[in-house]
Amino acid sequence: MNIYLLLSLIFSSIGCLFAITRQFQMFQQNSYYPSRYFKWLETSFNGGFLLSAILYFAVSVLYHFKLYIPQCIVSFVLLCYFLKTAIKLQKTSVKGLVFTDRIKRLYLAAALVLVLLIAVYAFLPKGVIGRIAVVICLLLAYITPVFTFALWGITLPIEKRISQYYIDDAKKILATRPDLTVIGVTGSYGKTTTKFILTRILSEKFNVVCTPHSFNTPMGIVKTIRTMLKPQTEIFVCEMGAKEVGNIKEDCDIASPHYGIITSVGPQHLETFKSIENVFSTKFELADAVRENGGITFVNGDSKEIINRIDGEYKIYGTDKKFDFCGEKLSYGRNGSEFTIKLGTKKVKFTTRLLGLHSIIDTIGAIALAYTLGVEIPDIQYAVASLKPTEHRLEMKPFTNGSLLIDDAYNSNPEGCLEAVRVLGSFDGMQKVIVTPGLVELGDKEYECNYALGKEAALNCDKIILVGTNRSKPMADAVRDSDFDTQNLYIAANFKEAMDIYSSFADSNTAVLFENDLPDNYLY
Amino acid sequence: MKVNVAVFYGCRSVEHEVSIISAVQAMRSINREKYDVTPVYVTKNGEMYTGDSLFEIESYRNLPELLKSCTKVYFTREGDKVLMKPQQQKLFAKQKDTPIDVAFPVVHGTNCEDGTIQGLFEFLNLPYVGCDIVSSAVGMDKAVFKDVLKNAGLPVLDCICLYAKEYMADKSAFAKTIKEKIGFPLIVKPVNLGSSVGITKVNTEAELDSAIMLAFSFTDRILVEHAITNLREINCSVVGDSDSCEASVCEEPIANDEILSYKDKYMGGGKNSGGSKGMASLGRKIPADLTKEKEAEIRDLACKTFKAIGANGVVRIDFMIDTSTDTVYANEINTIPGSLAFYLWEATGVKYTALIDRLIDLAFKRARSRDNITYTIDTNILAGVSFGTKGAKGAKL
Repeated sequence: MNIYLLLSLIFSSIGCLFAITRQFQMFQQNSYYPSRYFKWLETSFNGGFLLSAILYFAVSVLYHFKLYIPQCIVSFVLLCYFLKTAIKLQKTSVKGLVFTDRIKRLYLAAALVLVLLIAVYAFLPKGVIGRIAVVICLLLAYITPVFTFALWGITLPIEKRISQYYIDDAKKILATRPDLTVIGVTGSYGKTTTKFILTRILSEKFNVVCTPHSFNTPMGIVKTIRTMLKPQTEIFVCEMGAKEVGNIKEDCDIASPHYGIITSVGPQHLETFKSIENVFSTKFELADAVRENGGITFVNGDSKEIINRIDGEYKIYGTDKKFDFCGEKLSYGRNGSEFTIKLGTKKVKFTTRLLGLHSIIDTIGAIALAYTLGVEIPDIQYAVASLKPTEHRLEMKPFTNGSLLIDDAYNSNPEGCLEAVRVLGSFDGMQKVIVTPGLVELGDKEYECNYALGKEAALNCDKIILVGTNRSKPMADAVRDSDFDTQNLYIAANFKEAMDIYSSFADSNTAVLFENDLPDNYLY
Repeated sequence: MKVNVAVFYGCRSVEHEVSIISAVQAMRSINREKYDVTPVYVTKNGEMYTGDSLFEIESYRNLPELLKSCTKVYFTREGDKVLMKPQQQKLFAKQKDTPIDVAFPVVHGTNCEDGTIQGLFEFLNLPYVGCDIVSSAVGMDKAVFKDVLKNAGLPVLDCICLYAKEYMADKSAFAKTIKEKIGFPLIVKPVNLGSSVGITKVNTEAELDSAIMLAFSFTDRILVEHAITNLREINCSVVGDSDSCEASVCEEPIANDEILSYKDKYMGGGKNSGGSKGMASLGRKIPADLTKEKEAEIRDLACKTFKAIGANGVVRIDFMIDTSTDTVYANEINTIPGSLAFYLWEATGVKYTALIDRLIDLAFKRARSRDNITYTIDTNILAGVSFGTKGAKGAKL
């Protein structure tokens, strides 16, 4: 055994632990799904790989020619380099590696593997096995993605047992709470929105806990049950997400819902679901679980994929008069949206600052369930009126010269943009203005999407201000091709100029929509 | 998993003992199938103790002995929970932290009932029973209480407020003003003490100074108001919050002295009561002998008073009727009434256990309306933000 070789192995191993930080970070941010992690690897395959290869080659040459002292020095220098890179990574990343228990276990497993390899060399320094151990030990720092994958495999059985323990614990907690009402919320779109609206309305009468953010995996549900349920909690609103067939059933096995809401079925995650039928049957695993508990599931009848497929006992909500809960007379104005729902024998009017048909349908579903659970009508009306939109998502704000701003600056989804323009179009009796630079980064669909947005704007707006001469060309083409008075089409070089144009005609009867990708600080 | 209710009582207050009686009664009446009860006894110097022997009223006879069997604790927030922790870990017996779900203050008087203890709960973001800081403070200060009611168009007697230093610098000038503006007979009271402490009725100018000086021995701000000669006192309790509240039946306390003194209220004034049993044992007539109209008027005034100060939970409002004119005046409010006014609610048909249930529900309701749930949407907003000047979509991670 050569002491310098041993030292360089130790340095190299420590270096490896620093070098692997980046991989762990990305593995963590891809929720420990190897498939998603590999997808990230594919997209980030770059010059770093070449550098790794050269460094490894240099170390190997030194080892091959038994230049152990220089190898030891090089390994130490590399250790310092890996350390510096790891520190820099933690400091500059938007979201650095979080040292959760799982990450600590991965590091521990990595350290054990490295120690084992060094031990093999220490005890069998001469043989082929020792040489192989040395080669692997030196190599690991340069193939950290492969090492990460191996560590995932090694720790998988332990991780499975740990998560099973947590799942059992969560089930045990729920078993001690026979009086707790659990509501499952799922759907391809709108489930998080519906969950928050429902929680807000129910909290007028009950002590409610919901899964936070968009936590909707089995472990997210388990964590909520274990840490957030309080003894006084009367209702648990549980968002359930699915990427594959059977996912919702897993969630239901844990949470055992008494009521369900299915907000929509659409072509989301089709690469894993394969067909829309599979999306439908997965979402309706919630309805099966609810039925077993003797409860009712509420479904969005406006979702075609739902209404065309369901049969059996459901409460249907949406905007069709045939439905059990139907939102009617939807209109938009300075005070937000207004609509009416028949609850029992009464026609009840609601107002909310949320805009857009999707948000309104989500609200109708939440109202239907809250009413069924016995929240008083005036309390529902109050809660709906106090719902807050997310920042920059069809958010209404007072603006220049007393005009009304509809801020949709963070919308980058082509369908969503068209809906936003339609919402603006339904502000009857007001001068309707759009300010937008159009959509970007849509690849070969970019022209088509912007052209469609331009067409929709021409149909719904009185004045159109486009920002950026080149960028907005497809929209300008669309507006010119439409039946729109081009005197009301303005093309501004930048946002400031667009605001100057806007201020020249804005008054208290003007509604302006800011659509997509406008600077954050435009209000100041 | 039961809701853990921490009952706070005692405290640095002249009504320390009364609070102990009220709290022990309350702890006995809490529904144990629904709630766990953690007694938190606050000593006269503000230290907090917990322990099982605190449930027994007899054990308070020997305080040093009682405290020896208890654990000194403090409260702190840790993440999602408020924990009660022992101040010193005993060497061998490992003591556990106790999560507290809701606080139930059964304290009377200044330095606790007046918003002080409510401030502690607000600071910990712990749901708690009863009035919030502002309404507790308004309810404690008789002068501010009068101002708030007056502003709400509710009937109160006019008064003059005095500060100790101001008065002592020029006694005769103040005596003159009082004589002109209020006239005799009159009542002198500290602005901020409950249970009739320091209150004197003054019939002649000669008695005025000593009455004022007595009041100043409790506090440095007092008020002077006209004494109603043909007086009936009527009390009424209200339970609820700003959304909805109800008034109980009315009671008429029977006084030995001209004003209900501290002795009457708490030291077993009633001839046939054996020992201290708090407000519940005071000589009184329930329901008070009132015409239907008068009773309806008082109950309505009680609810209006409750809303005017923004009260929550259960309160008792004391009214005065000038029988010569048949006029009703609101005199004072007890934001944490002695015995939580349960005897008025039992007479109204509400069991004490049900009353406590409702109070705890109201505590959670207020906590809910304060946690304004922000509503968010499916998409990760960060994914669409432009970082830096390039205006590129998608954050670099």
